[in-house]
Amino acid sequence: MDRRTFLATTAAGLGGGLAGCTGSGEDGTTAPGTTSPPGGGGLPDHAAVDGIQTQPYLGPPPGEAPGTIVAFEDPSCPTCAAFDFRVVPEITSNLVEPGRATFVLRGYPVIYPWGEPASHALEAVYEADAAAVWDLLAHYFDVQREYEGTDPAGVYDMTETFLAEETDLDATAVVDRARAGGVEDAVRTDLDAGKAAGAGRTTPHLFLFSDGEYLTKAAGSISYRVIESTLGV
Amino acid sequence: MVGLPTRGGDWRLLGRTLRLVLAIPGYALFGAVVAALALSLFVFSQNLALVSFALQAPLAPGDRIDILLGLYPFLGTSFEPATGALLVVVALLVGADIALVAYHLREHDLRAAESGGSVVGVVLGVLGAGCAACGSAVLVGVLSLVGAGGLVTALPLEGLEFTLLAVLVLVLSMYWLAEGMRGGEVRGCPVDPP
Repeated sequence: MDRRTFLATTAAGLGGGLAGCTGSGEDGTTAPGTTSPPGGGGLPDHAAVDGIQTQPYLGPPPGEAPGTIVAFEDPSCPTCAAFDFRVVPEITSNLVEPGRATFVLRGYPVIYPWGEPASHALEAVYEADAAAVWDLLAHYFDVQREYEGTDPAGVYDMTETFLAEETDLDATAVVDRARAGGVEDAVRTDLDAGKAAGAGRTTPHLFLFSDGEYLTKAAGSISYRVIESTLGV
Repeated sequence: MVGLPTRGGDWRLLGRTLRLVLAIPGYALFGAVVAALALSLFVFSQNLALVSFALQAPLAPGDRIDILLGLYPFLGTSFEPATGALLVVVALLVGADIALVAYHLREHDLRAAESGGSVVGVVLGVLGAGCAACGSAVLVGVLSLVGAGGLVTALPLEGLEFTLLAVLVLVLSMYWLAEGMRGGEVRGCPVDPP
């Protein structure tokens, strides 16, 4: 099973959770097939979780699981791709699916220039269909080399082609919204949160929370074992 | 004036000197310890907050060890295999190089040109560890100080250049050390290849 299939399957399997991560709180139930341990972890006052209720996530809604992983990622970052390929599947199967932790994705385009329009596209897709954001992210990581050096117009064109071919979304409408700057505030919210939290220019940058407390941050090539041992959930 | 290892004999001199010095158990152990410390420096420098957490937080001993060991290439990180392997190679070269320096210090006079390469190699190793393009290398922090943090994204190998440069500098350093020992003996064996 490749990464995209894995994430898409996971996102579909956690459909309830993803559908409820629009910040509306209308569907904040735990995803089917998962169990949320009693007594959620809660989240402290920390810059990394500012605006977290409007972010894509896997697992129980943010604050309801004992552990929370807030990952600032740039679609153009090779280390994020490696993290997504090697570590996120383990996080999903060992922490997210059993309801031990929530994995929250925050766009943080600070590496290559094409990461910025890609992050806009991710936000626009998230607005339209929360589950599809994982498909698009996996796509960016899968074919990073093809996007290298591409100008924003090219990034949007390639993204539109992918969305039209691989998702049920109205690709043109979604990408037009990103092109027009319709999700600028959402992108800015993530960037501001990452900078305020101290993510600097490093991705992926993980902020780890357990039982309502901020534990530490971890950046770069981080393994699953490090995350699990740090969370202690 | 320092020379470069351009002939086969130069490489044989380097290999023989390394073999003779590292055949002494004390220097071999010293080199291994230095290599482990160098690798620790390379990987811990990427995540000081996490290392601090692992050392200070009230964790189970197993978790503490898991976090620290999990930062090393092949034991836990998501380093690309080539990047992880190069880091290990640089650490081993640092160990061998410092063992040569130690031997040279104890047995001969050491010139700055011969030992300076070791320091440069360690510095480059630290700078090259991690993915500079994604900012997870110390290099980015250093360049950011002069407002040039974004420069590393222009490097074709995404910062791995510094690790490769570290390999080159360390090999040269060891060659210069071996060259400085030419004509001498290690435990009764002539350094010069027969």
